[in-house]
Parts: sequence; C-alpha cells; structure tokens
Amino acid sequence: MSADSDLTSVASPAPAQEPAVISAIYYDGTSNRKRQVTLSPGAALDIVEDGATVATWPYADIRRADGGRNVRLSCLSALPLARIEIADKAAAERVLSFCHALDADHHSKQTGKVVAWSLAAACSIVVVTLFGIPLAADRLAPMVPYTVEKRIGEAVDRQARTLLGGHVCERKEGQAALDKMVDKIRVAGGMTSPLEAHVLSTSIPNAFALPGGKVYLLDGLIQKANNVDEVAGVLAHELGHAHNRDGLRKIIQTGGSSFLIGLLFGDIMGGGAVLFAARSVIDASYSREAETQADGFAITSMNALGRSPRPLGEFLVRITGKSRISTVIDSHPLSADRLDRMAKEDHGSLGEPILSAAEWRALKEICVDPKKSDGGV
Amino acid sequence: MHHPMPLPSVPLIPTPKGITFTGERPEFRKLVTRGAWLELITLGFYRFWLATDMRRHLWSNTAVDGDHAEYTGTPKELLIGFLVALAILVPIYLAYFFLGLEAERLQAFASLPLFAFLYLFTQFALYRARRYRLARTVWRGVRFWMNGSGWSYAWRAALWGVWVFASLGLALPWRAAALERFKMKHTHYGNLQGSFEGKASDFFKKAWWLWLLCWPAALFIFPLPFIYAVFKAIEWRWWVTGLRIGEVRFESDLDFSDLMGFYWKVIGWIVLFVTIFSMWAGIVGGIGAAFMKGASGPEQFASVMQNPFVLAGMGLGYVMLALAFNVVLRIYLMRDLWAKIASTTVVHNLSAADEVVAQGDAVNALGEGFADSLDVGGF
Repeated sequence: MSADSDLTSVASPAPAQEPAVISAIYYDGTSNRKRQVTLSPGAALDIVEDGATVATWPYADIRRADGGRNVRLSCLSALPLARIEIADKAAAERVLSFCHALDADHHSKQTGKVVAWSLAAACSIVVVTLFGIPLAADRLAPMVPYTVEKRIGEAVDRQARTLLGGHVCERKEGQAALDKMVDKIRVAGGMTSPLEAHVLSTSIPNAFALPGGKVYLLDGLIQKANNVDEVAGVLAHELGHAHNRDGLRKIIQTGGSSFLIGLLFGDIMGGGAVLFAARSVIDASYSREAETQADGFAITSMNALGRSPRPLGEFLVRITGKSRISTVIDSHPLSADRLDRMAKEDHGSLGEPILSAAEWRALKEICVDPKKSDGGV
Repeated sequence: MHHPMPLPSVPLIPTPKGITFTGERPEFRKLVTRGAWLELITLGFYRFWLATDMRRHLWSNTAVDGDHAEYTGTPKELLIGFLVALAILVPIYLAYFFLGLEAERLQAFASLPLFAFLYLFTQFALYRARRYRLARTVWRGVRFWMNGSGWSYAWRAALWGVWVFASLGLALPWRAAALERFKMKHTHYGNLQGSFEGKASDFFKKAWWLWLLCWPAALFIFPLPFIYAVFKAIEWRWWVTGLRIGEVRFESDLDFSDLMGFYWKVIGWIVLFVTIFSMWAGIVGGIGAAFMKGASGPEQFASVMQNPFVLAGMGLGYVMLALAFNVVLRIYLMRDLWAKIASTTVVHNLSAADEVVAQGDAVNALGEGFADSLDVGGF
C-alpha cells in the first residue's frame, strides 16, 4: 500500500456539529481484543475509550477496509492492522463525511490504466516474438561454440534414433557413396563446418539434420527415389540446414517464443490450448523461412555441380502430394511452390553425374545386409 | 447455527458459533464476468486484479461469530511476485535445459527424472502461495501467518505422492493427513498455533468403498460425478473437523447432496457451451464452404479450414467458450462451494481466541508468483 499522504498539511474541515456519541469497535493492531470506543471527530478522528483518547487518526490517512456489511476503516499512520468498525449506518456516514481520501488506494479506479499498460506490454511482447527473437537467434547462433552445438546434437540424436526405431546402416560401399555425395555438395555449396551423414533403416521417406552437423537420410527416402539427383537434392537441402545452423536457431527461437507467449497468456483460457496454438503458428513461420533458405542452398549447390535442382522439387511433390493448400501451421512451404522455384532455377543437368551407376546401387543397398550393422551403436 | 447478533461479551456456557457467508451471488457473478472480459482484453494480465477482487469478495463476506474476515493483499503484490518469480525461474529453466542435455547424451530420455524436480518445485510453490494468502487474511484486526520450510513440505508431498501412486490411491488419506498436519502445525493466528487432528484411518474408513466403486464406475463415466461428490464431501468434512487453531475447534455437517448440485450444474453448463460452440463452428464452416467452390471432400474441408475468416470465426468461438468456462467454474466451484462450506461449518470454543496477540509479518507474494508461472495457482 502506498503511503502518499502528508500528515501535517491537510486542513481538516473543522466540524462544527455538537459532539454526538459515535460508538464503534476498535482493534488496536496489537491484539484481537474488541475495544468498545467512541469516536469524536475533531481536527482529527479521536478514538476514546473510557474517557481517554487512545488513538488519533488524521482524516487524510483514513482508508476504507473490507468489512462485509459494517463500515471498517484503517489508517495509514496507525499500525497496519488497526481497525475501526462502525455498525450504525448514520453514525458511519457522519465519520465518512470527514474522510476525503477513503478510496485513494482502491484499485478499481485503475482499471483503465491496467488495460492500457497490459496492451502496451502485450504489443511489445508480440513485436519481440515476431522480430526480436529471429534476430537474436541469427546473432546468437554463430556465437555458440561448435562443441556446445555438437553436445546438443548428441542429446537429440539418441532421442531421435530411439523414436524412429531404426538402426544406422553401415554397409561400406553404400557409406562410401554417401560420403562422396556429401563431399561434392559441401564443396559446391562452400560449406566449411564438419559434417557426418548416415542412413537409418526406417521405411519413412524423410531426412533430417541435427545440431552439430549430423544429417540422417531415412532408407525409405532412398528407396522411393528414382535417381541420384533426387537424393542429392534432399541431402543438399539438409546440408543447407546444417550450414545455416538451423537446429541451434530453432532451439533459441522455440525457447524464446514459448517463454514470451507464456508470459502473455499466463493461466487465462485454461492455459494450454491458446499457448499451444500461438506457439505452433509462430514456430511454423520461423520454420518455413528456414526451409526456404535451405532450399536456396540446395539450388545453389546443385547448380554449381551442374545438376538440375528440379528433381528435388519433383521428388518432394511425389512424397507430399501436390496440394495447393497451405495453412498457417505448416512447417514447410508448399511442395508445389518449392517445385516452381526449382523449375525456375533449372539450368539443366550438364555436369557429370554425382554418383556412378555402381555407387548409386550401393547407396540403394546400404541397409540390405543386417549382419554388418551392429544395431544402432 | 446462525447467530443473529455478534455479542461482544463472552457467553458463560460455550455454545458453537456460526460461520456465515453474506456475499450476494449476482455481485460475484458480475465481478467474474467483467473480470473475464478484462482478462481477454489485457491478454491475461488482468488476472492479478481479478484474483484479488475475488478473494476480497469471498474473505470479506465470510463472518465468524458475526465478525467479517478481511483480505489485505493487493494486485500489485501479485504482479511483482510474478515478475520476480520469472526472474528466478529463467536461470532455473536454463540450468534444467542444460542438465537435461547432458543426461540425454548419456542415455536417451535420461532427462525424464528431471520432471520430478518440477513436481517438487510445484509443491514448494503451493506451500508458499498458501503462506502468502494466509498472511493477507485478517480477522478481528489480527493476521494469520505461516512459517515452516516450503522445501521440507515439498519433499513430504513428493514422497507421499509416490506412495499414493504405488498404492493405486489407497494411501491418499495418509498423505492428506500428513501434509495437513505439516501445514497446520506451521499455521498461526496471532500467537495461537494451529494443528490438525484428523485421523487418516477415519478418512479411510469413510471413503474406502468409493475406491472400490470408482474402478467399475470409470467404465460408464456417468456415475463418476456422484462418486466424486461423495468423496469430496467426506474429505471436506474430515478436513474441517480436524482443524484446530489453539483450542478452537471446527465442525462440518457438509452433505454430499450439497456438492452434487454444483458438479451437475457445471457439467450442464459445459454441455450447453460445447453445443453452442459446435453450432457456431458449423455455421461459420457452412458459410465458409458456401463461398468456396471447386474441390470437394477432404480437400474442400481443408481449404475451408484455412480460410482466414473461418479461422478467425473459430478462434473467436473458442475464446468465448474458454471465457464462459472460466466464469461458470468460478461461480460454482469457487463462490458457491466456498459459501456452502462456510455455512455448514460451526466453531467450537471460539472464546479460546479472545485475547490473541498479533504476530507474524506480511510475507511477499513470490510463492504466488511461482505458482502462477507454473500454472498451479489456487484461489
């Protein structure tokens, strides 16, 4: 409670009425004894017990306290819990007429202020979430030492592999082909950070990059591919993520945005749902941007190798279908739009093939012999 | 049990004193409805003001032996408590994140036990939030207050929680009794110390058959509110009757039929709201579909759903639904339940609290801030 009163300067409206007896109950703030007192309004409110004044409350300091049906008063310059209770309505009115700052601290007068400040806070949080966090992630990600990023990657690695359930395929010829492909794309894309690529024996057609330069192709993807360029395109896209350190940026963005949105909504609307919806939309918008950039990396490096990026686009459409409908919660841009972009940047496939026919076959068979794999390291 | 006039003199023959609730229902309804709108406009920040208003209403309308209680907390305290709690929680969350990272490197999902820490912290926050509310509770010009370590409470709550889990819920009465003993031992009204004398075995004897019933009942769902009402009535009655403040005792004659009405009314309102929401969603979706020609089947459904106007309409409906839920829950399960429990409770030997000397300080709202940021806030 703010004590913004000045005890001395307040000129009391010196009451001229006859001193009528106003009986009240007084709690002195040191015990819960009900003291039967009379109030005599003079220059200040005198609290009189058995003819002796036990306390004097300046009118400017008197505040209304919650007291059910009775009028209950407190005083800023008395003990914090000292109270006067007046049961008689008319008597209470008389006392109240002297007290001109009764509701000075009452917060219902501040609702407009609360709304205005909340809106300002909400606006600033929204602005920070939409613009500040991506900026912070872009600036912070390069500052995180590579060893730290690698540690994060290792932690996610185990989880991802456990969830997917496959093991790492380690057939030598296949891995050699994959390594060759990785090296070619790295050189073409101008990528300097170290990188490891592996194939997981899972039939889901997908691929992902982990923080710390680790890329997984799932065997389902390789089996679905019609030619080398399709797989190379996907690999180049994932290398793009690794090159841009997207995994790390995503961690910073998700952490920051969920913190800020949590601040905003608190426990309104039963918590979860709104928070979750808002976060999915924001995370997805961050993610679509990162995907577009990774596509850019894939297009540049494929073209540098003299191979068309178009097969990547066709492959994506084949995997995801050619729906033309996008929603705000999609994490990736539309496959059809991605294909359009790659078709536009198609400069033909005049360069030499990325893998020879034998190497391509080896890559396709990387998961064939289960005896050679040792079950997920 | 209803005493018309608060008499200052102590009666010679100790008769039980009543607790009365004098709050007007429409007043509370207006308060929470207005509060829900303001919560919406302020994107949740109004919750500190609303919580304070609701508590002030409930506290100040509750009278023991004719003397009304008072809630002296302010919204600003809650806001500051929340902000300070955030400042403390951010480094804790970061530490939690990196610890989890290290654990995951050693073994996938090894970070799961860290949830145990979060549970512990939640219990700590609940204890400290209770401490704050109690320190803002004033009756006859003297405050309640609490001491005792929140962590020591959290440990007890967590270990008993494990035991309840392992016993499939049968150990619940013992957990409740142990935790209530701890809380009440550290609860004071001025220089009077509280205690809890409810026996776990009494609770168990009254409620064990509900444990047997709830397994088959869970299959049908329909009887569950009945079982819950009976259980809560037994629990509240046992709890109130076990409370002591010094030599002051309490007694409750709460009946399960008192609670049953609240639960069914809440269920009724929720069914109504969900029905209205479904109709609204149908109308919005229908209008959307009427304007979208072309594709059919799931494709059309998807295209309607991603139309910004349909999305906005659905979002609006959802927000209204959530606001209505909050209002109904606050009216029935907060105000009505409070009023019912207050008016079914009598106080014995209240004269033992006649010459109480004020003690204890108004502690800060940090605990409430923790509870709020962990989403476990109570009243």
